[in-house]
Amino acid sequence: MRKEYGETTALDGVSLEIRAGDAVAVMGPSGCGKSTLLNMIAGLDRPTGGSVVVHGENVGELSEKGLALYRRRRIGMIFQFFNLIDDLSALDNVALAAQLTGTPARQARRRALELFDELGIADRRNAYPAVLSGGERQRVAVARALMNRPALLLADEPTGALDSRSGEQVMDLLLDLNQIGQTLILVTHDEHLARRCASRLVEIADGRVTGEHTLEPSA
Amino acid sequence: MRAVWRAARAAVRRRRLQTVVIALVTLTSTAAMVVALGLVDAASAPFDKAFDRQRGPHVVAAFDPDKASDEQLERTARQPGVEAAAGPFAQATVELPDDAMNFGLGSQITVVGRPGPSGPVDRVDLWAGRWATGPGEVVLNRQSDWTADDLGKKLQVPSGPDLTVVGFAFDLSRTADAWVAPEQAAALHPTVTQMLFRFTKESQAPDASSEDRLRAELATLTEGLPAGALTASRTYLTLKQQVSSSARAFTPYLMAFGVLGIAVAVLIVANVVSGAVISGFRHIGILKALGFTPGQVVAVYLTMISVPAVLGCALGTVVGNLLARPFFEFVFTGPDAGVFHGSVSVAAWVNAVTLLGVPAVCVLAALAPAVRAHRLPAARAISAGSAPRAGRALHLQRRLAGSRLPRSVSLGVGLPFARPGRSALTLAAVVLGVTTVTFATGLATTMTMLGNAGRDAYQVTVYASSFKHGKEVKPQHGDRELESLLRSLPGAREVTARADDDIRMAGSAQDVMLEGRRGDRLTLGNVLTQGRWMHRAGEVVAGSAFLRQNGLRVGDRIRLEKGDRGEDVVVVGEFMESNARLLVTDWPTVTALSPNEKPIAYHVKLRDGADPAAYARAAKAADSGISPTPTGSNSLTQTIVGSATVLTLMLTVVASLGVFNTVVLNTRDRRRDLGMLKSIGMTPRQVTVMTVTSMAVLGALGSLLGVPLGVAGYEVVVPRMAGAVDLALPPYMTDVWRAPALAGVASAGLAIAVLGALVPARRAARLTIAQVLHNE
Repeated sequence: MRKEYGETTALDGVSLEIRAGDAVAVMGPSGCGKSTLLNMIAGLDRPTGGSVVVHGENVGELSEKGLALYRRRRIGMIFQFFNLIDDLSALDNVALAAQLTGTPARQARRRALELFDELGIADRRNAYPAVLSGGERQRVAVARALMNRPALLLADEPTGALDSRSGEQVMDLLLDLNQIGQTLILVTHDEHLARRCASRLVEIADGRVTGEHTLEPSA
Repeated sequence: MRAVWRAARAAVRRRRLQTVVIALVTLTSTAAMVVALGLVDAASAPFDKAFDRQRGPHVVAAFDPDKASDEQLERTARQPGVEAAAGPFAQATVELPDDAMNFGLGSQITVVGRPGPSGPVDRVDLWAGRWATGPGEVVLNRQSDWTADDLGKKLQVPSGPDLTVVGFAFDLSRTADAWVAPEQAAALHPTVTQMLFRFTKESQAPDASSEDRLRAELATLTEGLPAGALTASRTYLTLKQQVSSSARAFTPYLMAFGVLGIAVAVLIVANVVSGAVISGFRHIGILKALGFTPGQVVAVYLTMISVPAVLGCALGTVVGNLLARPFFEFVFTGPDAGVFHGSVSVAAWVNAVTLLGVPAVCVLAALAPAVRAHRLPAARAISAGSAPRAGRALHLQRRLAGSRLPRSVSLGVGLPFARPGRSALTLAAVVLGVTTVTFATGLATTMTMLGNAGRDAYQVTVYASSFKHGKEVKPQHGDRELESLLRSLPGAREVTARADDDIRMAGSAQDVMLEGRRGDRLTLGNVLTQGRWMHRAGEVVAGSAFLRQNGLRVGDRIRLEKGDRGEDVVVVGEFMESNARLLVTDWPTVTALSPNEKPIAYHVKLRDGADPAAYARAAKAADSGISPTPTGSNSLTQTIVGSATVLTLMLTVVASLGVFNTVVLNTRDRRRDLGMLKSIGMTPRQVTVMTVTSMAVLGALGSLLGVPLGVAGYEVVVPRMAGAVDLALPPYMTDVWRAPALAGVASAGLAIAVLGALVPARRAARLTIAQVLHNE
């Protein structure tokens, strides 16, 4: 896969195969193209050359609507800065993802509450993003990403904006998810996070894959 | 200062869309404001302005040349209190043959010998041809919105030489129907000498006694003349009363549009500018962090706003002036308002007010948020764009999240409440837009009904004379024969003959126009507002203006006189008519006063589907001495409906631009949210629906508030318009607020909102998610 922005080449012939249930960490210096890679997989952007195939579907060939449906059904995305809607409560932020698919409000909230229970933030369900801690916000973001039971969970620097304790909690959460079969692709600078959560490490530099390693689970 | 300029220039470059929106909004708003203020100015005192421009005479006096010589009259012009005078001019009363009607003249006209159109008093507007300088030349007094197609034609004067029309001039003061060179006037047997006086300011106090004071002034300056030298005089106040009545009908309506236009323009400009500053808070923080002083930050923002605002304002003033000229010419056209046709224009003060006022509004609108930014610590300003902020209207958002509405719709409904200040300003603009549309719809409905009243009564008017090469051609058929002929032509269904006769009403100094009707449809489409139509001889139906101005009512008896004949008649009905001289009766009554009266026209109603033009051609072929004319449209109705439509469209565009701007700003503010929503699977269509819904809410609220305001405006303005021309509108013409009409105008708010929101909404739907989220 290639991705160019004008004169700049962000990805230059990257080739990767990820199997269901894998936990892959993508690492590399700033500007190496790891977030671009994640955006291509998430269908947030289209490659300039090559293809991204997820569950037999060529993402680059989808229409705008097709891409939206692809993101809705197959992808769960976690961002460094959470990207929650300030005007909605934590519960409504999470339920929103299901409601977009046409799920009735009551049913969506029930499913969101289950996730809040699982993630240990049930008592914060009616709080608004502005009053949540960084860790709590990221847990809400994780819950939102899991709402539609995605095939792929993509995380872009999920602990980058968190203190170490909150970061640890999020790492545990991702690890648990992978252990119950959730496919996970993680972009990070943090080698500790990569080793904790991923079974495979892909190194990128200047838009190219420079190395691939299998990781031993750390304690 | 250089740093401020550089930062401002960079900000303008970086925010191209916003800069274009500010320039566009100020341009449109300024143009609307120029037209609106121009209208308010032109409509407020059109007579006084036009009169002053022509330096009209306060008194027109006629003297007996046998008793007062020209030298004596010239001396009166030098009396104290006289600011300026014109004359002495020889004045003749000239009898004309009937064909003069084709020139828009009556059977008797006043011709004045005058050396030129200019002078210290009564500067007439020579709008076509040239002034009469030699023998056999004449200039006719004609409004400049009429045509000059009679130029070069000959006017036959039975008692004098034939006169060739060499020019058309318009004299608001009506000092003459036609002018000739002074030497030519002698050949027309002048009987009086005309003098035109303008008095000094002290003599023109516009109080109730002005008429008396002007007459007293005239009496003083003619004191030295022989007794009986002054034969007649007229003050400009009588003329003002006559001329201004139709303009008075326009005034409330034009004022209403003018005020609405100004309010919409100011609101939109304030909304756009304050929104631009608020959305730049993050940039303000960065400037502060770089070392800009708070004062410099304010200066950067004021410069950033001022550049497109001043540009837009300057262009808007030019566009406004360009638009106003044809628009005013259109508004002030026709037999009613056309007397002001050449004299109305955008006043200099209007341009000055908009050129200074719009940038001032922009700076004031920018100042409040800029001062807020001035006080804001740098760190808080920087984080304003990305840090989580406490949500607004949370209770409502929660209820909406649990509603059964599609989520894109419920999210959209909640959006306006997240930015209440901006939404309130946008709502105000939409409300005014809807008010305008509602008011204009009601007005247009009434005016259309007024114009259409009786339109189906006849489709062709056949005048009982025609002209060929300036000479009258008489009909080949007599009165009754002609009527039968017209009735027998293909397509004819009804024929009604009409005669107009100048008579007098006992006890009144004013002439009365008695219209006698004969044939199939005596009502001729006139709208009865009270009483009934005449059933027998001795009954008349009067126009509403006639009754009001003569203090009469239905049921009153009056005596009509013509020469040595007289008839007592009873007023049995009132019909809608602004001509204060008009009475309608049947044929026996009019011939009882004028036994030889002949119809001047025949009104023909055609069968359904018959072509009026084909009928007119057939009639002309049957008798070349008649002038068949298919009925034209009502110019007053056309003017009001046309101008209301133009103004409504203009204000709708400005209001839509306000919505457009709000959506652009909201989209900019919510880029991160939109990116996130798309990242979790919101389709472009859902983004568009959400964004359009957010404005549709304001549109619906705007309709809810704007429709009653528009109806109220209609109820205030329309009766005053009718009252100004002594018209009583029948209830069916003012009963315009039926369910379909209300539903139609209620949809105006939605239309304005959707129109303004659609383009930026689609743009928002196309946002590149990766880019938006990456920026964070």
